[in-house]
Parts: sequence; structure tokens; C-alpha cells
Amino acid sequence: MKAISKKLMIGGVAVATLLAGTAGTLMAQQKPVIATVVKISGIPWFDRMNTGVEAYQKANPDVVATQSGPATADAAQQLQIIQDLIAKGVNALAVVPMDPAVIEGTLKRAMDRGIVVVTHEADNQKNTQADVEAFDNSDYGKALNVRLAECMGNKGKWTTFVGSLGSRTHMQWVGAGEANAKTHPDMQLVDPNNESFDDANGTYEKAKEILRKHPDIKGFQTSAGNDVLGVGRAIDEAGLSGKVCLVGTGLPNPSADLLESGAITAIGFWDPQKAGMAMNSLAKLLLAKKEITNGMDLGVEGYNKVTVKKGAGDGLLVIGNGMVLADKATYKQHLF
Amino acid sequence: MQTSSGQLVMLVAINCLLLIVGAMISGGTFLSLFNMQSMASQLPELALLAIGVMLAMCAGNGGIDLSGIALANLSGVLSAVIVSSFLSSADSEMAFSVSFIVVAVAIGLIGGTINGLLIAKLNITPILCTLGTQMAFMGLAVVVSGGKAVTVGSPDLLSRIGNDLFLAVPINFLIFAVAAIVIAAVLRFTPYGFWLMMTGTNPKAAVYAGFPRTGVIVSTYAISGTLSGIAGMIIAARNVNVKFDYGSSYLLIAILIVVMAGVKPEGGYGRVVCVVLSAIALQLMSSLLNFGGLSNFVRDFAWGLLLLTFLAVGRYDVVDFLTPMRRQPNPSASIPRTPKPNN
Repeated sequence: MKAISKKLMIGGVAVATLLAGTAGTLMAQQKPVIATVVKISGIPWFDRMNTGVEAYQKANPDVVATQSGPATADAAQQLQIIQDLIAKGVNALAVVPMDPAVIEGTLKRAMDRGIVVVTHEADNQKNTQADVEAFDNSDYGKALNVRLAECMGNKGKWTTFVGSLGSRTHMQWVGAGEANAKTHPDMQLVDPNNESFDDANGTYEKAKEILRKHPDIKGFQTSAGNDVLGVGRAIDEAGLSGKVCLVGTGLPNPSADLLESGAITAIGFWDPQKAGMAMNSLAKLLLAKKEITNGMDLGVEGYNKVTVKKGAGDGLLVIGNGMVLADKATYKQHLF
Repeated sequence: MQTSSGQLVMLVAINCLLLIVGAMISGGTFLSLFNMQSMASQLPELALLAIGVMLAMCAGNGGIDLSGIALANLSGVLSAVIVSSFLSSADSEMAFSVSFIVVAVAIGLIGGTINGLLIAKLNITPILCTLGTQMAFMGLAVVVSGGKAVTVGSPDLLSRIGNDLFLAVPINFLIFAVAAIVIAAVLRFTPYGFWLMMTGTNPKAAVYAGFPRTGVIVSTYAISGTLSGIAGMIIAARNVNVKFDYGSSYLLIAILIVVMAGVKPEGGYGRVVCVVLSAIALQLMSSLLNFGGLSNFVRDFAWGLLLLTFLAVGRYDVVDFLTPMRRQPNPSASIPRTPKPNN
């Protein structure tokens, strides 16, 4: 028994070493590889992004574009994937960070090795060459509020929901919304910045409370993806569909019923498909050592005239105009 | 010890197989020096936690340490907050690094000792106790950091631990290797190792035999906590930032590694070398799937399959089964088989 195990072990190790020796001579792939790494795979948002990566691959046969992501929502798992991809020798990384802070060290190591790094949804990422954002956050918040004000006839009580008070983008959105509402003196903000924690049920309870407390409320502006569903359900059940306006971030498929019933006035979002394509397009430009300039066309809808600013670190912040506002009449064009 | 060497052979075989498969799919890059280094530097955080879980399991009486990753994060977060309150990582790099490491490991030690005292003195079942402390550690880390990532920065010594190589081996891997060797030696050559395994095998008999049961349990969990502290320090060194919810998936993976390594869940038996090999096997497999561009869900499936395979190996002597001719003609070499209890 002992002898056998020893022999097996020595044999195995010998074979492995032999392979390791010969392996180095094999050549790597010729085409540059752009690897997209998402927060978590298998959820609708990033499945939609994957269609963008596939479309990009089809349109650009001179590069290899792939997408991967962890099976669990854990920054450590995403980190491992990025490390393995660096070791595999990809030419460019397009990352949607689960937690920008956690992957700073690894992205720096990647850039030190000459790998092009592009990020998305991380305007505070320091170690990136370019961070792509679908839109300017204050423009988006303003656009939501303009739509809300229009529905409310520029007057009446309204309130806001955010995912959490610590969520930077959500606070920027409602902040810009409030600024816009100030131009309409008859709009009165009540009990602002309710925290929803992106939980449709919790939001539903809270919205019911607000409807009881302010029976004359006219409008809701929401931020997290599930907020429109919770508030929409509360409005629907109170029989106020069409009487109370609701504009917020949401996705077309889950919101379809409430949009049809009129409980949701309009939803705002950006299309992850286009964002995925824009990241890849930007990565390819950077691989070709092209300069990214203000007003440039990335060849992707919504990113035809990007604004380029200085980012959080040495990299650039590339802002598109990928905002989509959809209502009952138009949401069917964006079903995902 | 038929099962144990069978397990070791299986683990070595699986590792070799994974290397060969990796070389085939990647056309060689999988075995490149850089990928070896990359995998070696990914391994320590998880493998240290797994050794901690192994020690707790060996202590018997349903021993397990669920608080590992939470304690590792707490060490990193709390140490970063404490040390940066009186030192700046940019101005006094060396002093910052050294104090950060000392404080992180000390917090790990304290946390582990708390676990040990609760389990040994108050007789709380380990799974419940460490579940409670896991939440407490995580909660404390949230409170201390305000739920945000805390920046450690990359001062000289820490950044070297996280990024540099010594003789082509990542430094964090060397730290892990030293820790593993020390623990393996302690288990094998000191009375503590003997006490631990015997207490795990039969706690009652151990008490009647005059073993310091409380001391053994407290020190076991203290060592496990210290390993978490070291893991927390390595995480901070590699990632520049520390956060309370880092590695939330590590808990179950660490237990998986330990079970795959043939450590007896009922206590009394476990080998560090098997745990290390089993951690390496998981690392190879997960990197392999990333190289192959396969979905990470396939990885979970493959790990499950691997675990079941190992449980089967533990139960039936597969290696002997595959080489039956070795058994009959060589009776002198074989140790008389004793019926295996509970196995």
C-alpha cells in the first residue's frame, strides 16, 4: 500500500513536471482577447449585458470578446476570476466591479503587466484607464424629475425614495431631481429620501404609509431597481393608478404589468447591452493605443458623442448619453 | 492508516490530473510560471481558514469554526482603523506595516480565544457558538468601518507581502507554508497534538486520562483565530482595502476543503498536508474553469462532485480496490487490518 502510493505520487509528479516543461513552447492566441467580468452571472441584467458582448464579438471578428462572472455575489469570487484571467494572459479587462475598493490592488497589477483595464458603474475606481458611465448622474436625476413634473402638472406634493442613504448615485439622482423641482414653486417635497434597501416589499409598506399620511400626494420619484414595483403596487392597490405619478429607475420586463395598469408613469434605465458594447469598444480603442477624446463616437447607440473627463485616479471618466426613459407606449421596444 | 494514505494518494492524483487537463485546455499557459504564482498567491487566505476549521473539527464534540472569514475581515478592518488612528501609512511605512500586522494577528488571537473560552467554559455547542461570534465579529466590523471599505494602502512591507516574490514564490504563499508546516509539526511532535486528537476521539476518556481538556480546546480555537488574523492581514496586503463582507462564500468552501481532505467530522483525525493538497485541488479546479471560460456554476457542480468522490474514497478503500493484486501475494507487508470504527 505504502509502496504503491509512493510510486503513484512520484509518477504523477513526474508527468506533471514533464508537461510543465514542454508547455511553455506552445504559442498563445493571436487575436487580442477582451474579457468582460460582471458582478454576478445568471441574473437578467448581466445576461442582457452578455448579449451586448456577443453582438460586439460578431461585429468585430478581429478580437475575442468573452464575458464571465461569479456564481455568487461575493467580491472575493470576482477578484479570483480577474486574477485567473490576468494569468491566462488576456489583453484587456472590462470589469463591472462588485466592490471597486476590493479589486484596486489587482487592477493595478493588471495594468502594470500592460493589460488594458476598462470599468463600468465605478466612477470612484482609481486603477482603471477608463470608466464608462451610461449617463451623467445629475442629468439622469433631472430627466426623471422633468418627466414627473410634467405628469403632475408642475404642482402638488411629491416624495423621493433611495436605495440607501449611503448610495452615492441614488443621492445624486434625487438631489438633481430636487434641484429641478425648485423651478416649479407649486411642487412641494414631503418626507424625502425614504430608504428602500432595494426591497420591493419593504418599499410597498412604506409607500402605503406615505399614501395614508399624505392622501393628497401627487408624485413619487424612486431610485433603486425594485422601488417602482413596491410603490407601483401600493398605488395600484389604493386605486390611484393614473392619479398619482410614479417615475423611477426600473427594468421593462418586471415593470410591464404596472406600466400597463398606469400605476407607473415612466421608468428610467440604461441598457446593459449597450454598456457592455461600449466597454468593449473602448477597450479595443485603448488596445490600438488610440486617444480617447471628448465628443468621440464609440459606435454604440447612446455613446455616439461621449463626454470625457478626468476620473478618480489617473484614468478617464467616459460619459455617454445612454439614458432611456420608457412609458406605457414605448417600453415594448426595450423588453429585457 | 489505510484511509489516510489512500486519501493522500487520491489528492495528489487529482492535483496532477487537474494540472494535465489545465495544460491541455490552455495550450500550456495554465502551467506557465506566472499562472502558478498567481494561483499560489490566491490560495493562502482560503487555505489558512481551512486549517483553522480542520483544527476545530479535530477537537471533536461537533467542533467547527464558522467565524473564520468574519474574524479575518474584522482583523483587517479593526487593525486598519486602530493603526491609522495614530500612524499614517504614507509617512511611516515600516512602522505602519509592522503595527498593522501585529494588531491584525492579535485581534485574530483574541477572537479565537473568545470562541475557545465560550465553548470550553460555558459548554456551548461549537456550531452555535461560532455562528454567534461570526455575526458578532461581522457586526463589529460593520460598526467600526461604517459599512464601507477601509483603505490600508500599500506601505512598503505590506505591499511586499501582497505583491512580491521571494525566489519566484509569492511571499504570502511562503507565510502560509510556514504556518502550515508549524501547525503540522505541532500536531505531530508535541503533546498538544496528541491531546487534541485523543480529546477529539473520546472526550470522556481524555478527561479521565488527565488531559487538560479546557486548555486543549481554548488553544485550538485560539490557533484557529490566529490563522484567521493572518488571513485577514494577507487579504489587506493584496487588496489594498478591507471590507466586512469580503469572501462571504469562503465559509462553506473552507468546510468543503476540510471534508475533502478526509478530516473526520466527528473529531480525532485530520492531516494538515491533506488539507493543503485539497485546498490546492480546489484552487486548480476553479482557475481551470476560469481558463476554460466555463460558467462559475459549473465550478460549484464540479466541487460537489469532487466532494462526493472523496466521501466515497473515505468509505471504501478505492486505491486498494483498484490494485487488488498487491494485497494477496504480500501478506508480510500489510499491517493487520482492524475494523474501522464509525467508518
